[in-house]
Amino acid sequence: MNYPVWEVPVIGGGLLIGFVAILHAFVAHFAIGGSLFLVLTERKAYRENDTGILQFVKGHTRFFLLLTIVFGAVTGVGVWFTIALVHPSATSALIHIFVWGWAIEWVMFLVEITSALFYYYTWEKLDRKTHLRIGWIYFIASWLSLAVINGILAFMLTPGRWLQTRNFWDGFFNPTYVPSLVLRTVVCLALAGLYALLTTSRLEEEDLRAKLVRYAAKWLAPAFFILPLAGVWYISQIPPLARQISMGGAPAVTIFAGLSILFSVIIFSFAYFGPYKYPRYFPFPFAVMFLLMGLLVTGVTEWVREAVRKPYIVYDNMYSNAFLVSSEGQYRLGGALAHAKWVQTKEIEDANMFIAGRELFQIQCQSCHTVDGYNGIRPLLQDWPEDFIDRQLQHLETLKGFMPPFLGTEEERHALARYLSTLTRRTTESPPVRDLTSPSSSGSSQGSPNAK
Amino acid sequence: MPSDVPIPDLDPISLPAPVWLLKALLLLTFFLHIIPMNFALGGGFITAATEFIGRKKNSVHHLSLASSLAKMLPITIAFTITLGVAPLLFVQVLYGQFFYSSSILIAWPWFSIVVILILAYYGFYLYAFRWEKLQGSRLILVLGSAVVFAIIGFLYTNNLVLMLTPEKWSAMYFRNPHGMQLNLSDPTVIPRYLHFFTASFALAGILVSIYGMVKSKENPDYGRWGIRYGVVWFLVATLIQLGIGSWFLLSLPVHIRNLFLGGDLLATGIFLTALLCALVSLVLMVVGYVSANPAPKVISGIGFITLTVVGMVLMRDLVRDAYLDRYFDVSRFPVHSQTGVIVLFFLLFVVGLVVLGYMVRKAVAARVTV
Repeated sequence: MNYPVWEVPVIGGGLLIGFVAILHAFVAHFAIGGSLFLVLTERKAYRENDTGILQFVKGHTRFFLLLTIVFGAVTGVGVWFTIALVHPSATSALIHIFVWGWAIEWVMFLVEITSALFYYYTWEKLDRKTHLRIGWIYFIASWLSLAVINGILAFMLTPGRWLQTRNFWDGFFNPTYVPSLVLRTVVCLALAGLYALLTTSRLEEEDLRAKLVRYAAKWLAPAFFILPLAGVWYISQIPPLARQISMGGAPAVTIFAGLSILFSVIIFSFAYFGPYKYPRYFPFPFAVMFLLMGLLVTGVTEWVREAVRKPYIVYDNMYSNAFLVSSEGQYRLGGALAHAKWVQTKEIEDANMFIAGRELFQIQCQSCHTVDGYNGIRPLLQDWPEDFIDRQLQHLETLKGFMPPFLGTEEERHALARYLSTLTRRTTESPPVRDLTSPSSSGSSQGSPNAK
Repeated sequence: MPSDVPIPDLDPISLPAPVWLLKALLLLTFFLHIIPMNFALGGGFITAATEFIGRKKNSVHHLSLASSLAKMLPITIAFTITLGVAPLLFVQVLYGQFFYSSSILIAWPWFSIVVILILAYYGFYLYAFRWEKLQGSRLILVLGSAVVFAIIGFLYTNNLVLMLTPEKWSAMYFRNPHGMQLNLSDPTVIPRYLHFFTASFALAGILVSIYGMVKSKENPDYGRWGIRYGVVWFLVATLIQLGIGSWFLLSLPVHIRNLFLGGDLLATGIFLTALLCALVSLVLMVVGYVSANPAPKVISGIGFITLTVVGMVLMRDLVRDAYLDRYFDVSRFPVHSQTGVIVLFFLLFVVGLVVLGYMVRKAVAARVTV
C-alpha cells in the first residue's frame, strides 16, 4: 500500500522473518536464562568452595559471550531489519506506538551488553562479591529487556483496550502480557539448562561432570511444571478466532501446535530419565540432540504464535497485508490501486487487466503467499476457473477465517481473479489459444485463457 | 511535492513526543554510536597494518600494540551495535517513510549486513582469542573482517543517501522489485562514503594515542611511542580528509552545498567552526608529536576534534533535512506526548548510566584490562 513490496523468491518474506526470528528467539531466551544460570552457579561454587564448578562457570562464560553478545545481539537487530523490509507499515506502527518502550528496552540492552562484557572480562580480577553483583546486574537487565519487548510482541495478538484508548499502557499491559511473560521466563530457564547440558557433558572429570549434568537438568523443572498452566492461561486470553485456528481451524497450525507440545514432553521426559536420573551416562551427542529439539520447539511455537494472529498483524487494527481495518471502506470504494503508491496501474482497462491483477496480488497477497514457493498460490489454486476464483475472492474471510477479505473495487477483484487464473494448473498445462491481454512483461506466465 | 514520487504517507499514529526531543535524541545517540564505530572501522585496518609493519620490521612495539588492539576490536563492535540501535530507532520514528522505502529498494544488500556482520564480528573475536595459535593466518583474518566492516559502511551510505532522494525510487523499484541493486549512480555516494571511511582512520588513530597514554604509566617509552604512532594515523587521515571532504562538499547538490557556504547563517557557522576546530586539532597534534611530553597537547587536540565530530553530526542532519525539504514537513506530524513514559525513560536512562558508572569504577579500581 504505502511501501514498495520486496519480492523474496521461493521462501517469501514471512518465512525469512521466521527464520531470523526463530534463531534469535532461541539464543535470546537462552541469554536471559543463561545469565541467571551463570550467577547462581558462580554463587554455588563459592558456597560449596568448589574450584571445579568455578572453572566450569568461567569456561561457560566465554561460550556464552560468543553466542549471546555476537549472534544473539546481531540477530536481534536482524529481526528488526527483516520486519522493516517485509512489513514496513507494521514496523512503523509498532515503532510509533511504542517509541518509549523501545527506548527503555534500549537502555536495558545497553546495560545488558555492557554488564555481560564486564562479567566476562573481570573474572577473578574483582572480589567475588562485586563480580557476583555484576552478574546480577546482567541478569536483571536482560530479563527487563524481555519484560519490555514482551509487551510489544504480545500487543500484536491482543492489543486489548488500546484499540479504543490508544493509550501506551493499555497496549503494553495487554491481556496476554503476563501469561506470555511467565511462559517466556520459564522457557529462558529451560533453555539455560539445555545449553548448560552441552558444556557440562564435555567436562573431563567424571564426578564433576555427573554433578553438573544433573544440576543443569534441574533447570528444566520450572518449565515442566509451569508451562502447561501458563499455556492454558495464555490460550484463555487470546482471541476466539486465534484459538480456533490453533485447535483445528487450520490443520497446519494445529499440527505445529501439537508438535510443540509433543517435543516439549519428549524433552522433559528424556531430561528426567537421562541427565537427571543417570547423569554419568549422558554423552555430548545427546546434549546436542536435546538442544536441537529445543530449537524445534522454539521454531514451531513461534511459528504458531505468528500463525494464530492471522488475518492480522495487529489484531483488529491492521491486516497481514498492512491494510488498515479502519480504512476498509475506502479501499472498497476508491480501490486498492488508487491508494497504492508503488503500482503502475491506476485505472483498470481491458488491456492492462493482467498487470493490474499482478500488482493487486503483490500488494494484497504477497505478504503471505509466493507464486510457486512457500505458501505458493499456484498449487493452492489447483485448476479453478476464473469465475470460481472470483467467487472465492468475494468471501475470503468467511471461507478461510485466517485470511483478510479482498479489499478493492469489483473491477479490481476481476483483475486479480484474471491474473490468478493464469497461474492455475489448467492454464500452465495447456497454453492458451488466444491471448487478449498480452502480459508481455510477465515472464513464464501466459495470458488469460478465460478472457471473455 | 512532485506527484510521480511515491512518498509513503506519514504513519497515522501520532508522535509520542515533540519533534525536537526525538531529534535531539537521534543526534545525541548517533554521536555516541559513531565514536565506537570509527574505532572499529579504522581500528581494524590500523591493527592489520600495525601487525604487518611489526612483522616486517620485527618491531616489538608494533606487535604488542597490534595484540592489544586485537583485544579491543570486538568491544568496539559491541558498542557500535549497542549504541547504534538507538539512532536506528529514532530515525525510523522521524524519517520512517523514507528509510523503509529506500531499504526495501536495496533489500538484499541491506539484509546481507546482518549476515556479514556476524561473520566479521566473529572474525575479530577469533583474532583476539586465537592470537597465539593462529600466527600467520591471523593477519588475513583481521584484514578480512576489516574489509567486511568497510563494506557494511558502504551499504549504509548507499541506503542513507537513497532515502534522501525519493525522485529516484520509482525507476529503481520498477526496474528491480527484488531488491537486488545498489545506489551507485548517485554522485555523492562515493565521496560521502570516503569522507566517513577516512575519518575512521583519524579517530581510530586517536584510540591508539589514548591507549598510549594509558600505557605511559607502566612503560613510558612504549606509551610515548603509542601516542605518536596514533597521532601519525590521525595526521595522515586528516590531511587526506581535507581533499576528500572538499570533494564531498562539491558533490552535493548546489542548493545544499551553498547552505554551508554563506547561504544559511547557522549551517555556515557550524561548518566553519567544525573546520576551524579540525585545523586547531591538526596543529596541536603536530606540536604534540614533536614535543618531549606529547600527552597534554594531544589531549587538547582530541578535545578540538571531538567538537569537529559534533559539528559534522549536526551538518549531516542539516544535509538530510535540506534534501528532504521538498517532500517532508516535520510540523505535519501529529504529536501526542506520552509524558509519563518519557519521564520513565529518562529516569531509567539515568539509572542505567549510574549502573554503568558503578561497573566502570569497580573495573578501573581493580586495574582490569581486556
